[in-house]
Amino acid sequence: MSEKRPLEGLRVLDFSHVLAGPFATRVLGDMGADVVKINSASRAVGANDPTHPYYLMWNRNKRALALDMANPESRPLCRALCEQADVVIDNFSVGVLDRWGVGYDAVSAVNPGVIYVQMSGMGDGGPWSKYVTYAPTIHALAGLTHMTGVPGREDIGIGFSYNDHQAGLHGAFAILAALASRQTSGRGQRVDVSQFEVGVNFAGPSLLDFFATGTKARPCGNALPYDLAAPHNVYPCLAAENPSVAEQRWIAIACMTDEQWASLKRLMGNPQWSEQAQFDGVEDRVAAAGEIDARIALWTSTQEAYVLMKACQDAGVPAGVVQDGVDLAERDPQLKAVNFLEKMADVSPVLGQTWVDHLPIHFSRTPCNGYRRVRELGEDNAAVLEDWLGLSPSEIDAAAQQGALK
Amino acid sequence: MTAATDNNGSGGAEPVFELFLIGLSSHMLRVEWNKEGVMAEFNGALCKVRVLDLTDERGIYGAKLLADLGADVVRPEPPGGDPLRQRGPHAEQAGAEMTSLWFAFFGTNRRFFTLDTNTQSGLQQLTELAQNAQIILTCDHALGVDLLDWETLQAANKSQVVINTSSFGSKGPWKDFLAPDLVAGALGGVAATTGDVDTPPLKGFGELNFMVSGIYGAIAALAALYDARERGEGQRADISVHETLVSCLEHVLMFYWYSQQMMRPDNVLPRQGATHWSMAYTVMKGQNGSIMVTPTPDFDNQLAWLIEEDAHDDLIDPMYMEPENLGLRIERTMTLLAKWIADKDVEPLFHEAQQRHCPYGQVLPVEAVADNPQLAARQWYQPYRVGDMSLQSPGAPYHFSETPWSLGVLGRPGQDTRQILEDINWGQR
Repeated sequence: MSEKRPLEGLRVLDFSHVLAGPFATRVLGDMGADVVKINSASRAVGANDPTHPYYLMWNRNKRALALDMANPESRPLCRALCEQADVVIDNFSVGVLDRWGVGYDAVSAVNPGVIYVQMSGMGDGGPWSKYVTYAPTIHALAGLTHMTGVPGREDIGIGFSYNDHQAGLHGAFAILAALASRQTSGRGQRVDVSQFEVGVNFAGPSLLDFFATGTKARPCGNALPYDLAAPHNVYPCLAAENPSVAEQRWIAIACMTDEQWASLKRLMGNPQWSEQAQFDGVEDRVAAAGEIDARIALWTSTQEAYVLMKACQDAGVPAGVVQDGVDLAERDPQLKAVNFLEKMADVSPVLGQTWVDHLPIHFSRTPCNGYRRVRELGEDNAAVLEDWLGLSPSEIDAAAQQGALK
Repeated sequence: MTAATDNNGSGGAEPVFELFLIGLSSHMLRVEWNKEGVMAEFNGALCKVRVLDLTDERGIYGAKLLADLGADVVRPEPPGGDPLRQRGPHAEQAGAEMTSLWFAFFGTNRRFFTLDTNTQSGLQQLTELAQNAQIILTCDHALGVDLLDWETLQAANKSQVVINTSSFGSKGPWKDFLAPDLVAGALGGVAATTGDVDTPPLKGFGELNFMVSGIYGAIAALAALYDARERGEGQRADISVHETLVSCLEHVLMFYWYSQQMMRPDNVLPRQGATHWSMAYTVMKGQNGSIMVTPTPDFDNQLAWLIEEDAHDDLIDPMYMEPENLGLRIERTMTLLAKWIADKDVEPLFHEAQQRHCPYGQVLPVEAVADNPQLAARQWYQPYRVGDMSLQSPGAPYHFSETPWSLGVLGRPGQDTRQILEDINWGQR
């Protein structure tokens, strides 16, 4: 593992769970921060269970400390850890850490440099502040479900927890911005991240459009909602006979310029239908998109997707195979060229082989290519308490005897 | 210090909107008028960080994030204006060209510089802008990027941070592939999981894919800045849009790698509308709209509610409590919920569910999001001047207790050129 990743020496105390918060701290850990993940035997179920695949995805490069916050004996240790942290992060409902005596006011009083990040669903304040959210909740409330789909439907939306990832990334960015501020001012601060507000932010241009012109954004399939480009869609390719949904093959083709349309026509052999003068201009192509899409689909449906993609790209036409998880893991030559997906070298003694998708940031001087496996519950208790608090083995044993470390 | 000219011609009639940039010898200090008309220093978290923004759609969101936190972000434009000012949606303004609201969103808080890279002086100006920046954000082949001598720049400014975003990185068989947002999402695994069985794979509305690469660029910039300040050395970082998307696919790689542990027969989950991979979240049709419904995280809590309303049918059968029957319990619960919700008005249902700690979410169109009581209570929407229009604008995705987020006036093409030339002492040597 690299000794000088960009965040080496930064201490992050991580109370977060599920995806958004753990993804934020995964990014920090990948860049070298010493992320100490707090968990407990009573909470380590479902997505918080260190053996659950969901947990495995978001919690590499962290050290595991078990603290039973229901046990009063754990509270002094928790406060002491907060005192040593550069960053404290949680995504509990507002007020939980206050009840544990480690709310922002208490921590900043003894650690004025702390960056204290709360990533709740709705933020601290407002009539919905206690509302419970997961990514699908946020997608629905933020307009993302309504807008992503085909005309006439509002029950499609984004097919994965986009906003959880983005909330995590925005949380990591906010932490780094607060650290940059601390480097010049010496002061820490509290950061309130509302996952709802992160989500609404993604509808930014559409909201400005509504405020400026009253236009209400509506789903438009794979067309561009505001700009002219055609053809611009996803088309079927050669697949097994009567394929299941998972077996279907598709290719995205996006002609962003008239030149790209001309190139596509040449690639198709300049069929007679495409040579109609009314298709020369993009406005007319957009108006006739249904007809053009149907013609192109007939052409693509007999061709192997990757071969067709290569032919399009060689001709200067933007095109890409619709890749699923198997494609990404087994076939994608671009990911292979950078070894983006790989087996975790640090094999788990409990789980055996696990896997890694790399941090997608390639630093020239401080590369972040080191990955430590997800740790078992409390696996790093002794090391963390010694490193952060200077506790001796006997003091750590005493804490364990009191039931604090489980 | 010299105040830049009022860039919107309003003469300061609405001072709360006004934001000026005052040039200092080594950095820019952003100052805004408060409601009493008194100038107050805007201390954003990134105040005094100088950034050169040479991005296109793939990276411009990252530059926006830095600018909105107070960094002095200079964005050069070719004569005639930034091509991204042509992106829709547009608003028509009397006596003016159509205004890009896309650019109004992504181009916040910049200083705009007209740069003619076809002239020797333009190239020299570009070089000096680059020399003066602490952070340079670039995208492959964006304005000026291919013209700069990067090795010389790095040698002259050891602490400089350069973040480059490309579609596929600098090596590999696809490095020269063209990938607008639709194509990027297809290759990156996003489209395969979005859409329904009776639709093609779909892209997210707008620019959702490039907003992922954008924020990764901003993260890389600040991580490298932190390191440069700690250790005195800057560096370059490369970001591939493709890799950023693959890193944010939630269940997709999990299903491939851990299908056995997930007890799934297949390692790919095909697109299935709004239904979550766990099958325990989906959008259901009610009266007056649709609602995202889930019995998680506490199935017993949801069951108790159904029992209260006598809508539980056979769900109290002990069979459903057996761990091995969790899938069956989810399936049966979702079937009964769909039937139960069909007759319910979704808005009161949403609030009642939340009172019961059930994480339902009403499916809201953009006009309802614009009028949302939670956002209003948090004063989330901010006043924003775009040309002659005073608009409401989306606010900050985060709230800093000590260093506020701020929104200024959208700049006109090249409006800050003279001031920026003064900042770099252009013409005085």
